[in-house]
This record gives sequence, structure tokens and C-alpha cells, in this order.
Amino acid sequence: MTAGIPLALLYYLYLAFILVFLLFTLFNLYHLVRFGFLTIGNIVMIGAYLLGTIAMLLLSWQYISQIDWTATIPIIQLGVPGI
Amino acid sequence: MLLKHYIPHSHEDEKIILLLRRHWFIILRKLLLWAVVAIMPVLFYLLAFDIIEPLFAGGLTRPLFVLFVSVYYLYTWLFAFHSFVDYYLDVWIVTNKRIINIEQKGLFVRHVSEQKLHRVQDVTAELKGIFSTLLDYGTVYIQTAGEQARFVFKEVPRPQEVAKKVIKMSEQEKRFQHLLEQNDDIHTETV
Repeated sequence: MTAGIPLALLYYLYLAFILVFLLFTLFNLYHLVRFGFLTIGNIVMIGAYLLGTIAMLLLSWQYISQIDWTATIPIIQLGVPGI
Repeated sequence: MLLKHYIPHSHEDEKIILLLRRHWFIILRKLLLWAVVAIMPVLFYLLAFDIIEPLFAGGLTRPLFVLFVSVYYLYTWLFAFHSFVDYYLDVWIVTNKRIINIEQKGLFVRHVSEQKLHRVQDVTAELKGIFSTLLDYGTVYIQTAGEQARFVFKEVPRPQEVAKKVIKMSEQEKRFQHLLEQNDDIHTETV
């Protein structure tokens, strides 16, 4: 018998990182919209950042969705097999 | 004027004379640094391919690798964008009436200070270093008689030109204030 930790824990940890990332993205965008100047440069930067973010998240999702998150990471072997 | 509503409590007859940010080289330097941070793992992967590749055969290493790479690049992207936000929101404005200093420090501190042009006492421009001299950017120190004694325009383009302009504007404003005071004196004497 093998005891292990579910791989999904890593996934939840990843989601926490994504949540912090999205929060900081929102703060940055809020600052640019609230205090920035309405110039083409500013609008282009906001657009480029959002496009880049969406592209990275989609690419990440492509790889993440291929992983079996129901699996467990074996840590200790309990008992002797075959006895 | 489109930019006018960005001036804190702007006056009716107030006009923007200078709107300054740090030189483009400053943001380029920061963005290049983040580009290096983004390229480094790729270089490491290519150089140590023979050592790294067998590690991904294991059941745990692949999910860990995928998650780590995703977080690494998302945060590098975020920090690069934050560098731009920090650069973009640090602004120094000289109007025909006052000097306004707007500085964004991190995400949660925004510092706005201002001083009347006629209170300017001394203006100094400083170019320091090779890039500063070659690309003509530097720091302008403005000494005033107010509570915040010194205004610093950091790493702005053409600092000497900016200093000259501030001095010229300040002298014009001082003459105007002097005339106003004389006018007031004449008015009180006649009353």
C-alpha cells in the first residue's frame, strides 16, 4: 500500500499564484486607467499586455489540461507487498 | 486641452508648458532586464538539455515543470508591465503657474506635490555618466521657498533646456506677481 499526496494540491497552489497575478494585473490596469494619460502609447501598452496575458494563460491551459490531476505523488510504502 | 484634467485642481487660465517623464532609455533598460530574465531559462534548457531531459520522464517532474514555467513567465510578464506602469505614472508638469510633481511609488503609494512658479529660487541641471551624456538626459533640481524645499525631475530628457525654461517661466511669473502687488498697493492707497 502506498501513501501519497494528491497531485491536485500543486494545481490548487498554481491557482493561488494565478489569483495573485490577476489581482496585481487589475491594480496595474486600474492605475493606468485612473491616473495615466489617454495617449495611444498607453492604450497600445494596455492592449499588448492583455493580449500577452491571454496568450500565456491559454498556452498554459493547453499543457495543464493534459496532466492527470487525480493522480497521487507516492511518498511512503506501507506494509510489505505480497505478504 | 485633453491633458488638462490630469492637473490636480487646475485653474481656468492654466496652460501646460512642459510634461516630463523619465528618458525612454530608462524604461528600455528595465524592459531589457526583464527580457534577459525571460530568456535565461530557455538558454539554460538548451545548454543543459542532456541533463534536464531525462528528469521529465518521471511522473511528478512534468506537472511541476509545466506549472513552474507558467508561473515564471506570467510573473516576469507582470513585473515587466509593472516597470512600465511605474515609469509612465511618474510625471513632472510645468504649467504657466506652478510645478507639479507626481510620483508613483509601488502600487499603493502616489505622491503629488506642487509649488508656485514665483517661489522658485534656483534651478540646477545635472548630467551624470556615459549614457546620460550621450543620450542627453539627467536630473533637474529646483530649489523653492516652500515647505517641500526641493523638487527633483529625475532622469528627464534635455535637462539643461528644461532648467532654462523653468527659470524663464519663473522670472516671468515673478514679474507678473510683482505687478499684481504694485497694483494692489495703488488700489489700497486710493481707497
